[in-house]
Order: sequence, then C-alpha cells, then structure tokens
Amino acid sequence: MEQGEAASLVRAAAQGDEAAWRVLVEQFSSLVWAVARSFRLGTADASDVYQTAWLRLAEHLGRLQNPEQVGAWLATTARRESISVVRSRSRSTPMEDATLADLVPADEISPELAVLDAEQATVEADRAKQMWRAFRQLPARCQQLLRILMASRRPSYVDAAAALDVPVGSIGPTRARCLKQLRREMSKVSGTESRPLNKKRHLLGDERAGRA
Amino acid sequence: MPDEPDDIEVEERLRELIEQLDPVPEQLLAAALGSYTWRTVDSELALLVLDSVEEDQGALVRGREDVRLLSFETSGLTIDIQVSSGGQGRRIVGQLAPPGHATVQVRQGSSVTDLDADELGRFRAQLRDGPFSLKCSTGPEGTRSVVTDWITI
Repeated sequence: MEQGEAASLVRAAAQGDEAAWRVLVEQFSSLVWAVARSFRLGTADASDVYQTAWLRLAEHLGRLQNPEQVGAWLATTARRESISVVRSRSRSTPMEDATLADLVPADEISPELAVLDAEQATVEADRAKQMWRAFRQLPARCQQLLRILMASRRPSYVDAAAALDVPVGSIGPTRARCLKQLRREMSKVSGTESRPLNKKRHLLGDERAGRA
Repeated sequence: MPDEPDDIEVEERLRELIEQLDPVPEQLLAAALGSYTWRTVDSELALLVLDSVEEDQGALVRGREDVRLLSFETSGLTIDIQVSSGGQGRRIVGQLAPPGHATVQVRQGSSVTDLDADELGRFRAQLRDGPFSLKCSTGPEGTRSVVTDWITI
C-alpha cells in the first residue's frame, strides 16, 4: 500500500468512513498478528495484543501525527504490547495455548491442493514438515524477522523495522542472511536433496521436475 | 542487495506454509473490524504516561510482580490505576486527580460497566484478562468526557 493511500484511509476512517477502516484492517491485520506471534505469544495472549492494537488505533485515528505511517504505528504498538504482556503475565501459558513453536504441519496436504494425486500430496506434506523443522532450527532473531516478513500481506521494510525496533537498512541484509540459513538447514534435514523447491512446477506437472 | 532466485523461491514457500499454519483467527478479524464502533468522537484521550511493567523491571525482583501501576494523563486530569491479580481475573483500584465525583465506565470485551468514583476520586472494579479502557465523565454535570488508551492487562 502506498503511503499516500494509507494516509487518506486513516483520514477517511477518522471522519467516520467505516469502509476505509475495513481496508486498513484487511491491509494490516496479518502484520499485527505476525508481530504478536513473533514474540512467541500463545494464541490467547497474541489475541489480546492484536485486539489492543486495533482498539487503540480506532481511538487514535484523528490524532496520528504521521497517518501515512499507520502500518509502522500498528507494528510499534503491537511490539510494545507484546513485550508488556510477556513481562506482566507471570502465569504459565496453558498447554492448549499454542505458540508458533508448537504448530505442526498437517500429515495431509490442505484441501486446495487436493488436485494433486495422493503420492504428490504426501511429498508436499513431507516437504512442508521439513521446511518447518528447518525454520525451527534458525536463531530466534531469524525466526522473529521471518515470521514478520511472512505476514500474508507482505509488510514494507519500514513496517518490519518498526515491529523489531531496528534500523530500516538492516532488514534487507538480515532477511537475506536468514533465508540463506534457512536453505542451509533445509538441505541438512533433507539430506542432499536437490529437488526443485517450487511446488508450482509440480502443480503444473512440469516434466523436467518429473524426470529429476 | 539483489535477491538470489533461491531466496525468492524459499520465501514464497515459507509464506504459504505460515499462512496455512498460523493464519489470523477469523473471530479476531471480525473483532478488529468491530473495534471501529468503540471509537469515541467527543471524548478527550488520556494517554498512557506510565506503566510499571515498562518503567520498573526491578519491581519484579522485589517480589511485587502482582501489582502493576498504570497512569493515564490528559490536560488537567490524571487517572492512576493499580492492577493486581484477584479472583478469576484482575482487580483494579483507581484514583482520579484532581479528586472528585465521577462516573467511570469500564469498557472490556463487548461489555461496559458503569461505576461511581467517590468524592475522593476513588473507584474499584473486577476485570478479566485482556484489553480494557476507561471512560470517565467528570466536571459539573459530568460534562467532561475522557477515555483512556486501550491496554492489555
């Protein structure tokens, strides 16, 4: 989203335009969730942080000094709330309150990939598990950065930097280093595998992939 | 720094995987859309100016981990809140400064509860874990309306 567009949505929402609010939520929802999850909060705590960030934004709409930076404002708010929740909740996280670390890819591939035949579906599921194992081997800082950057609406580096409280210029190089490390971990867990990574080739039934 | 093709590929796969594993829960998205209706148009906003959790990590070491102090401020009004664990949730004890009678509305979840602050500006309430905000009506005839920033307790 362009900064100018973000600013005009904030102004419109502040004037009572609920449709503008909806667009803001749709744009930044996955970022706010990603930030809370990146701090290893369980689902209940992450939900509190997520809701607090949006409630606070609703109250601050007409008061933001830099409405074009609303994404960074939300990321900063989510970061601060996450840290304060981590510090203030002495209670242990219940078992059923899964953090990012507790998630496990399914044994079967999701319905949208059901077009695959059974054998390929198993291969895809195994590769998802391998990738997740590799991700979990990364240093905490890499897991955090990548979780934020992997928000389904890809965040800008400015927003990611606000989420992590680091200089914007550090995001690109750290991302590259973390992805490289992820690939290294993946090649460890999958042995000397050199299969193509992109499953779209499988989906398209690419013959080269089939022969490999 | 130019992207290596493998980086782009691995990132695309990781994004898909995380989208499957850890999407924003649907009811939360609905809550975020709904939080717009909590917006107050005619109230002043009292900003969080002190949170003992941020300011005073030493307190944890001194064994006062059960008590958290929050202070919200707007021009001419301060709302101090002490939060402690109590019963099923959290107990709050509040103090308005300058002191005086006021109506205090506790906003939490989808519910609101009205309380009275006594002539010394004191009030107490029982809350659940989660985000909350207070809306205070003070001044002559309760003409002045102030809301606090939302915060998770």
